[in-house]
Amino acid sequence: MVKKVQALVIGAGPAGLCGSIAMAESGVEVLVVDEGIKPGGQLPKQTHKFFGHEGFFASIRGFEIGDKLYKRAIDLKVKFKMKTTVSGIYEDGIVLYDRDKEEAYDIKADFILIATGASERFISFKKNYLPGVYGAGAVQTLMNQYRVLPGKDFLIVGAGNIGLIVAYQLLQAGANVKAIVEASDKVGGYLVHANKVKKMGVPILLRHTIVEAIGEDKVRGAVISEVDEKFRPIKGTEKELVVDNICLAVGLQPSVELAAQARAKIEYIPELGGYVPYRDENMKTSVDNVYIAGDIASIEEASTAMIEGYIAGYNIAQKVTGKDLSEKIEKMKIELEEFRRGPFSLKVRRGLKKFGINYPEGGYRTEQQKDDGPAGKLRVKIECPQNIPCNPCETSCPTGAISVGGNINGIPHVNYDKCIGCGVCVMKCPGLAIFLIQEQEKHSIVGIPYEFELPEAQERVLLLNKNGEIVGEGEVEKVVKNNKGKTHIVFLKIPKGLENEVRHFSKIKLEDDEIVCRCEEITKSQIEEAINEGFTDFEELRRYLRISMGPCGGRVCRLQTLSIISMKTGIPISELESGRFRPPSIPISFKAIIRGDEKDEI
Amino acid sequence: MKYKVCIIGGGIIGTAIAYFLGKMGETSVAVFEKRYLSSGATGRCGGGIRQQWSTEANVRLAMRSVQFFERFKEEVGMDIEYRQGGYLLLSYSEEEAQQFEKNVKMQREQGLEVEILSPKMVKEKYPYINTEGVVLATFCPTDGHANPHKATFGYAKAAEKMGIEIYTHTEVNEIDVENGKVKGIQTSKGYFECDVLVNAAGAWSREVGKMAGVELPTESYRHQIFVTEPLKYFFPFMAISFSKNFYIRQALHGQFIMGQGDKDEKPGINENVTFKFEKEMAKKMTKIFPFLENVRILRHWSGEYNMSPDAQPILGKSNEVENFYYAVGFSGHGFMLAPAVGEAIAEMILLGKPVHSDISYLDKDRFKKGIVQEKNVV
Repeated sequence: MVKKVQALVIGAGPAGLCGSIAMAESGVEVLVVDEGIKPGGQLPKQTHKFFGHEGFFASIRGFEIGDKLYKRAIDLKVKFKMKTTVSGIYEDGIVLYDRDKEEAYDIKADFILIATGASERFISFKKNYLPGVYGAGAVQTLMNQYRVLPGKDFLIVGAGNIGLIVAYQLLQAGANVKAIVEASDKVGGYLVHANKVKKMGVPILLRHTIVEAIGEDKVRGAVISEVDEKFRPIKGTEKELVVDNICLAVGLQPSVELAAQARAKIEYIPELGGYVPYRDENMKTSVDNVYIAGDIASIEEASTAMIEGYIAGYNIAQKVTGKDLSEKIEKMKIELEEFRRGPFSLKVRRGLKKFGINYPEGGYRTEQQKDDGPAGKLRVKIECPQNIPCNPCETSCPTGAISVGGNINGIPHVNYDKCIGCGVCVMKCPGLAIFLIQEQEKHSIVGIPYEFELPEAQERVLLLNKNGEIVGEGEVEKVVKNNKGKTHIVFLKIPKGLENEVRHFSKIKLEDDEIVCRCEEITKSQIEEAINEGFTDFEELRRYLRISMGPCGGRVCRLQTLSIISMKTGIPISELESGRFRPPSIPISFKAIIRGDEKDEI
Repeated sequence: MKYKVCIIGGGIIGTAIAYFLGKMGETSVAVFEKRYLSSGATGRCGGGIRQQWSTEANVRLAMRSVQFFERFKEEVGMDIEYRQGGYLLLSYSEEEAQQFEKNVKMQREQGLEVEILSPKMVKEKYPYINTEGVVLATFCPTDGHANPHKATFGYAKAAEKMGIEIYTHTEVNEIDVENGKVKGIQTSKGYFECDVLVNAAGAWSREVGKMAGVELPTESYRHQIFVTEPLKYFFPFMAISFSKNFYIRQALHGQFIMGQGDKDEKPGINENVTFKFEKEMAKKMTKIFPFLENVRILRHWSGEYNMSPDAQPILGKSNEVENFYYAVGFSGHGFMLAPAVGEAIAEMILLGKPVHSDISYLDKDRFKKGIVQEKNVV
């Protein structure tokens, strides 16, 4: 006998889960089908904190959001069939294919919410068939769900939010990201995401693309090149990178197959991601009992997917139960309207206009805060220059010192009279874009949000700016751990004047075999030991250890040695003596001098 | 701030005096160095330690020093790469050979073991030396060489451990003399009172003397020196010739260090180098040491010989300023004499006169009686 459900939700991502919750809350019997192992769609792969507002889990990491939504759905008696693919929507039923049990069977549903999300786009380049060319989603699945790192050295193609986030996650997992190439002339993703990787030294190469993968059996490198205004590679600008993984993050396209099979009208709207089902503002397609939500409707992000899920869910519930849910629906529509006012929703607004759905724009604060607050006070510095729909800084502040100025897309401003420097917002900000600063008598303090292996207090560190360049060295003052949110704050003692420069740091490696002077094989620990013994001049160290006494004459080791002295003694390099630069600058044989002396002409 | 003894100069002499003062129980001592330790002549010298001198007194002072170098590692606590590989002195004329024979007789009387070698014997012993033109050679097996930087650092660190202060990057600008007595010194790091002031300023000895109103008959002359890339260690001795004007040794690390004097040098501090030196050395040295032909020169520098009128050091206590001591004018061999000099000056300061070495003949008043030149100088 053919089974029948009141509502079938296809896809257990944020849209599908919220849709199922909305329906189940109202007493609808819901079945959620998903091909994945774990509910949540892309959420279980996401280890970063989400933007938005706390009503939609802003500041919570993706995988935790998935867990929370799933738990809520289970509590509401939503039924789940995982590892089950909807293999087709037929005239006579919907076919579910249970991969575990090897069973394909058909069911019927009064209503269908299709929340199948999107699939990754690919681009063509030479040898893109080689093992080692991955989509960003695959990399995330392997790395974050299965804990397998599919490479050591990565090239990421695409500087949208996904490319940037994957790069950051790869760094957290211990991989190297050699570069992010982006064909357009600007970073598509949030600048705060870009800053997270830039400050760790990952170059984002704009107007660059991949032209070829190198390798016979697998990826062993990549050739990238600059592109012209029409995104064509410019000959002669090719560069080779040694990588073993090419990770494509070049965009998403809505997964519309099932909607089409359900006979929903499909239109090509590039602003929404390509082919999308037509839908109205209640998320209803051209077919009365078929609704959509999330990326299938327009490529956006998790907050809007969730809201759309609720809108679709409440609408279906209203029809199934006959209850009036218009208040809830209206509330969600207002949420969506508020989210979509900002510049990052421009394309979606334009795309939806083609369906006759109009969203207002503007009405949020665009001015940046001018002042840094009173010097000497421990206070926050927010570096969030774009109008991102996100406000946990405002909602988390215990003293009400931060405001985004009404609309969630507004630029946050700090009332420095109220800011107490507690650091709660630093730990909450999903963009890791809030820092603590304080000028002290002899040095300054900067507090940095940090999601890597923590340093020890008193540890000396290299200070990096937002582009990952070394601007000096400092010391860890203290580490404030955040066991819940896992965004910790590392407080650094830094030279004065660098409060607005230092945004990251790297630990100074202390391996014994780290050779500084390659000619004479002098290690860093030997140098540090000699400094401890009291040899604090470059020339003294040179004479004591033979640093820079080899054929290179100090080209390799001089500055490195001076940096070590500076770090150990606290004297800026500019105030240290550079040591002698003795001729000959390259080794010259006795024979050469004799021969030269016998010559009459130049 | 007050110290009993202030020493001007952070080279081997200044640090040796500080070390011996400390060893004798006087730790109210400070060394003032305007640059860094061993930054003057000490850190620029060839590092040879020789006892084959032409005057008795120099031989005895050098022999005393060798006793200290032999125990340096144990007593002072630093490995200074000391190696007693001998000194091979090569003579190239009958006259020079005769002088060598005279010297050896005198040296043996002082108890020094010295061999006389014919050119053939030299060739047999050291086949890699071209002995063309050599008339006679002498060889003292207990001569040797060491790393002068490390010796300075060794003395300085040992002194610091005993509580002595070493002020580097501290320049002495004025010496405060009142009623024929030094009261203190004005430095770039402030004023320091002292009971005794020692001039161990090497190349700057004359200027420091002037600050105290004491005329010292020293002049500084540039001497150049270079070092090659390291070769496998096979050349354990120092080879030297006064008439051919060179010295050469292989450091334990493998590099060859060599230099020569230049009669045309004008007095004054000059830390530059000339290519003329490299040309002259290249021609001369590849002829005598043909294995050098393909060896590459790595680094070339210069330092000052603080010359006295007879090429022997000027050691003692001033008559004009009663608590002003000097150990200057080493004329290119301060490093090798430093331990005995350090001991002698420390004894003079603390006991009134040197006990272990007779340095009375090295007082600056000797020049009033006429000059007896030390001949064994490159």
